[in-house]
Amino acid sequence: MDLEEEGELIEDTRPRYSESEKYKIFDKEFMPHIDSMYNFAFRLTNDEDDANDLLQDTYMKAFRFINSFQEGTNAKAWLFRILKNSFINDYRKKSKEPSKVDYQEVETVYNSTEDAEYESTTDLRIEAVQDMIGDEVAMALNGLPVDFRTVIILCDIEGFTYEEMAKILDIPIGTVRSRLHRARNLLKEKLRSYAKSMGYKELR
Amino acid sequence: MKMIQAVLDGSATPEELEHFKDNIEVCKPCIEGYELEKSIKESLQTKVEKKCCPKQTFEAIKLKIGIASLLVLGLLIKIKVIKDLFFC
Repeated sequence: MDLEEEGELIEDTRPRYSESEKYKIFDKEFMPHIDSMYNFAFRLTNDEDDANDLLQDTYMKAFRFINSFQEGTNAKAWLFRILKNSFINDYRKKSKEPSKVDYQEVETVYNSTEDAEYESTTDLRIEAVQDMIGDEVAMALNGLPVDFRTVIILCDIEGFTYEEMAKILDIPIGTVRSRLHRARNLLKEKLRSYAKSMGYKELR
Repeated sequence: MKMIQAVLDGSATPEELEHFKDNIEVCKPCIEGYELEKSIKESLQTKVEKKCCPKQTFEAIKLKIGIASLLVLGLLIKIKVIKDLFFC
């Protein structure tokens, strides 16, 4: 499988690194992101073994196609893109996560007007969110379909900009914004359910 | 709401940012929405456990890259030996 199949663009002007340069780049630019990469792999797969395999595959691919990386550019975004593509190509089908909600269906349900969205989400109280423990927030996040989970992880946990997310996911910035917006509405619905179970009364 | 999220995410355009500043104080639902979005974002950042790469996985990657380097080195030596034997 070449990197084009992985969704990367190979430019004619790509650098040609010597063997020693390759190891230097790998150690100095790629390895410092290993914890963030593992966390992303774990949040995508919801499984430690799959996350380990996905991470190792990603780093092997990164080394193999290191000439496609321009030294000094955003290594973290480059690595995240390879990991995301590896996940889609190799792991998504065999993922141990429970049956997924149909993406189009979810997009259609949440592709409503701004007013309707307001009505459905403002009944979540800020105090309820603040009182939640990490496990509850993580469970709500894990319960989202993977495409929605991905944008929230990239934006809120890893702090990527919309522009970087567009490159990682290979989608336009407008789609990043819409998907993030819908993902957050879904997340709010899940958090609202937890809040209700915690005894918080709804606002409306 | 997309605009409020973009402001919180640090990805709003200058026009959106200006519009946000001009209107946030006079729009009660916007303030509530902003505060809620902010608290959810903060919860995701601070409460969700960040998993660290297990040491074995880190070592396994280093080992595999090390083996790859040895294979490349071996290949280069082999090519050199063949060249020396047959072309000199």
